[in-house]
Order: sequence, then structure tokens, then C-alpha cells
Amino acid sequence: MASPLPQVLLDGLFAGGTYALMAAGMTLILGVVKVINLSHGAFFTLGAYVAYALAERGVVSPLAAAPLAAVIAFAFGVFLGKSFINPVRSHPFALPVGTLACALLFEQAAQMVWGPHPLLIGSGAPWVGPGGLVIRQWGVIAFLSSAALLGGLKWVLSARPGLPLRLIAEDEEIAGSLGMDVDAIRYLTFGGACAMAAAAGALLSPSGAVTPTMGRAPLLLSLVVVIVAGMDSVAAIFLLSIGLGIFGNACAWLLSPQWSYVALLAAVCLLLSARPAGIVVLAGRRD
Amino acid sequence: MRSAASFRGGWLAAGIGLLLLFPLSSPDVFFLDVFTTGFLLAAFAASWDVVGGVSGQITLGHALPFGAAAYACALLTTLAGWPLPLAVAAAVLLAAAVGAGIGALSAPLAGPFVALLTLALGEIAHEAAVGHTFFSGPGGYAWGGEGGIPVALPWRDASPFSSYYAALAFLCLASFGMLRFSRSGAGLILRAVAGSPITAQASGVPIARFKRLAFTVGSAFAGAAGAGFVLHVGRATATDLSLELSFQAATFAAVGGRGTIVGPVVVALVLHVLFQGLSLPPSARVLLYALTLLVTLRFFPGGVVGTARDLALRLGGKDGAQPPRLRGRNKPGKGTP
Repeated sequence: MASPLPQVLLDGLFAGGTYALMAAGMTLILGVVKVINLSHGAFFTLGAYVAYALAERGVVSPLAAAPLAAVIAFAFGVFLGKSFINPVRSHPFALPVGTLACALLFEQAAQMVWGPHPLLIGSGAPWVGPGGLVIRQWGVIAFLSSAALLGGLKWVLSARPGLPLRLIAEDEEIAGSLGMDVDAIRYLTFGGACAMAAAAGALLSPSGAVTPTMGRAPLLLSLVVVIVAGMDSVAAIFLLSIGLGIFGNACAWLLSPQWSYVALLAAVCLLLSARPAGIVVLAGRRD
Repeated sequence: MRSAASFRGGWLAAGIGLLLLFPLSSPDVFFLDVFTTGFLLAAFAASWDVVGGVSGQITLGHALPFGAAAYACALLTTLAGWPLPLAVAAAVLLAAAVGAGIGALSAPLAGPFVALLTLALGEIAHEAAVGHTFFSGPGGYAWGGEGGIPVALPWRDASPFSSYYAALAFLCLASFGMLRFSRSGAGLILRAVAGSPITAQASGVPIARFKRLAFTVGSAFAGAAGAGFVLHVGRATATDLSLELSFQAATFAAVGGRGTIVGPVVVALVLHVLFQGLSLPPSARVLLYALTLLVTLRFFPGGVVGTARDLALRLGGKDGAQPPRLRGRNKPGKGTP
């Protein structure tokens, strides 16, 4: 192989394109529910473990795992949204700490069920492209599925079915006075966004080891995307996620895998220190 | 009002008396150790409350000053060969400086973004501690990573009794100091900042400076607890900087009632002794802490102890009115937009 750089870029592209699905979910939650969901990474991990559990039983296909993971995550997400997020929404302390509690709860539960050791899922034989470039099957599947789902989301948001979401993001009182069930839409959106994170986790599960804390790095990536891109444009989320995916992969290749996590953490710190005012506006301080 | 306060003081005195008597009942050394760790953890929880409860700055990176002090103690004694008292003093100063830095970075941020920033800073420190290896010149040892760094202690084997009493004395002194701080003029201003930053600012309070002060004081106490912890355990490890530790402190404060200092101390002691005394594995403990926190946030937003106290006051209140000083205590955070 001539230079590993094209390989790093290609894998980063595949991973980043799939992270976009999760980041878009995070953005939906921030826009509609107006909550920073620190448990989003746990749903990513949940998706990966669903894929692992299926692979253990002989179904080695991210395309089968992603819908199942999405359904499971939707159920958990609706439960969480309805029974916890909605009731404590007005309490500024409860949200970050409570969603972090959910994430840690899931991490510890996963560790007790599956153990702390990294688990591997077999992926299909890769295709070898020009110049020794390895094109991984899961990467292509994950990237294309994510792009298709995001295209669907963009269409839904811009068309009539997405109107309640946009209206609630804009002004909840008006949405309520028009007869929309704001609470129900909130927890359904929360569940849907969690399903997106779990689908991304299932699609990306063959890319590396499945561990209880694997969702932390994608969570930070989503946070960076939310802070920078906001919820106006799905395309911006997609492109930014790809950029960050490539950046993370390059960090992992140049330095060591844990550095991509540190780089994302540093990006969050820098962004928050550089433009605190801009983010507060994004978070919607109208209510 | 007066009688209610002295009544609570009586309960506290009785609790301290029981804790002083406990080692004399010749218990298992294991339980002495559990209590000693519990005292240090309780002081750490109280220091979280100075930042997160009294001042309303929700920090999820409070393990950073705790672990920084622990690592400073270990590195300064083992690698640099400093005498222990000097190393401990330097460690507490370092923790205060770290707190001032976090405070300066997070001062312009509102609500959940403080939580995000502190979480990210804490995780960076944790990753650095896991990934970095320190080499000692003379012995040629490599320390750090998951194994952590040992502390060079001047004594061989501290008796579990002296550790117990030293930690208890530290907890009482530190809690008293934090309680005094939270009821001082600065503490009252910090409560005002927690209640409504905009109102406080409009009244002429330099809120950025007071937020920095809250982080500095809280982190100094966290650093003292971290130094005490590393002296007791004998080794600074990456778990001293972990997100789980920061989260535990927030849990104790939320359950005990934020802004009360004493509540988090009591809850930290009770929960730690209960879970550790049952010899639960660490992951089961964190899981139970998370469950406890979620139930508390959902059903007792003022904290279990805080809600129970309000209830007791309402039932036992003489003329039905709550004393104003207590009513203000549960407020932090509620009034922010």
C-alpha cells in the first residue's frame, strides 16, 4: 500500500457520515425538547450491543441490526422522555445531571451484562479498490443508509408532517394553542432521536470494538456539531459530521486512538469558551 | 427558629458522638476503612455543594481538582522527593488554582453549558492521566497509566484507628469551614447569583468574579479531600479523575439537598457506607447511585433530605410559617430561566 492517508480519509468519511445520523438526532432533541441530552451516547452504545447480540446468534448484518436497535431505542427513549425528561424539563439542574445518570446507568448495566472487555463483530470481506485502497463493506452500507435516512429526515422536516416539530422549536405556546399535543410530540421526538442514535451505533458496530463507554466520543462529536451547525440545515450537520469523522480518524492515525476523543473534548471546550453567547441563542431561551 | 436550629445541631452532635464511639466497639478493620473513605468522600460531596448547590454552577468535572491534588501529592513526594506537608499544601493550592481556571472559563456560560464544559475538562484530565507515563530518575521506574502513582508516605503502616479519627476530624473541620463560607456575605451573594444571575448582575454584583470565587473555594476543599484520600489509599489513580467520581458528588448533593452542605455530607456517608459495606462491585455501586439520583430528581427535586426537612418544618412549624432563612435554602436553580 502506497500511503495510508487515502484509507484514513475514506474510513473517516464512512464513520463521519454515520455519526451525522446521531448528531441530527441530538439536534432534534435540542430544537424540539430544548434539552442537552447527555445520554445520547448511551443509545449509540445500545445499538452496537444489539448488533453484537444479533451477531452472536448468527445474524451478522448491520442492516438487520439497525432497525431492531432503532425500535428498542425508540421504546426506551419514549419511556425516558415521557417519565423523566418532560416532568423535570423546567428544572435546570435535573437535566444535565439526570441525562448523565441515564448514560452511566446504561454503561454500568452493559458492563455487568457483557463485561468491560472490548467485543468484536465480524464484518464482511472488504473490497480492494485501486491502489490497494480497502473499501469496507460495513462502511459503504452505513454511509449510504445514514445518507438515505438523513435525506428522509430533511424531507419530513421541510414538508407538512414536520410542521409541528418546526413550530414547537419556534414557539411552543403557539403550537399548544393550535391544539397540538406538545408533550406527546416532545417525547415522541425524543424517542425518534434516540432511535437515530441507536441505528448509527448498530451500523457502525463492525468498525471497531464494542465497549460500554464507546458512546462517549460520538456524544461529544454530536455536541460539537450541535454547537456549530445548529438545527437549521441537515446538510450542514451531514458535512460537519463527515469533517469531524475524518478529523477524528486522522487524530487516531497520527497520534493514538484515545487522542481523537481528547481532540473532541478540547473542541467542545474551545467552542464553549469562544462563543458562549452564540450557543445560548441556539439552545432557545425563549421559555 | 432558634429552637429548630439548635435541635438540628443536637442531632449533628449526636451523630458525631456516635462516629467517635464507633471504633471503640472494636469493629472489623474493613468497616473502619469504609468509614474513613466515606468521611473523605463526604467532604468531597460538600465541596461539590459549594459550587453546584450554594452557587448553582452545575459542575460535572469536580473530580478534576480532587484528582489533581491526589496526583500532585503522589508526584511531588515520589518523583520530586518533597516532604509530605509541603506536598499536601502545594496540592491544595494547585486544586484552588485549577478551580480558579475552571471558574474563569465557565463564568460567561449559562446553565447546562457549565455542565458541558466542566465535563469535558474533567474527561481531558482523566484521559491524560490514563495515557501519560511518568519516569522516576533514580529508580528507573515507570509510573502512571491505569496503575497510578504511589505516594511516598513518611509512616509505614498507619493504624486504621488513627486514619479513622484523622479523616473524621478533617470532615468536621472542612464541613464547618464550608458551612461558614456558605453563610458568609460572599455565600449569600453566591446564592443570589444561583437564584437569578440577571437580577444579581442588575444589583451590581460582579457575577463573573463570584463564580470564580465559588469554583476556587469549592475546588480547594475538593483538593484537600483528594490529598486526604491519596494519603489514606497510598496511590493516586486515574479513577480519582473519573466522570463517575464527579457524578457521585452531584448525586450526594442532589439527594441530600443542594446548598445545605450538611445534607450532602450525611447522604454521602450513609450511601457510601451502605453500598461499600455490602461489598458491592464498583459498577453496581455507580448503577445504584444513578438510580438513586434519577428517582430523587423525578420525585424529590429539593433532595430527599431537603424535602423531608421541609415537610417536618411544615408539620411542626409553630404558626404555620416557614422561617425565611430555610425557605431560601432550597431555591438555587429554580428561578433561572
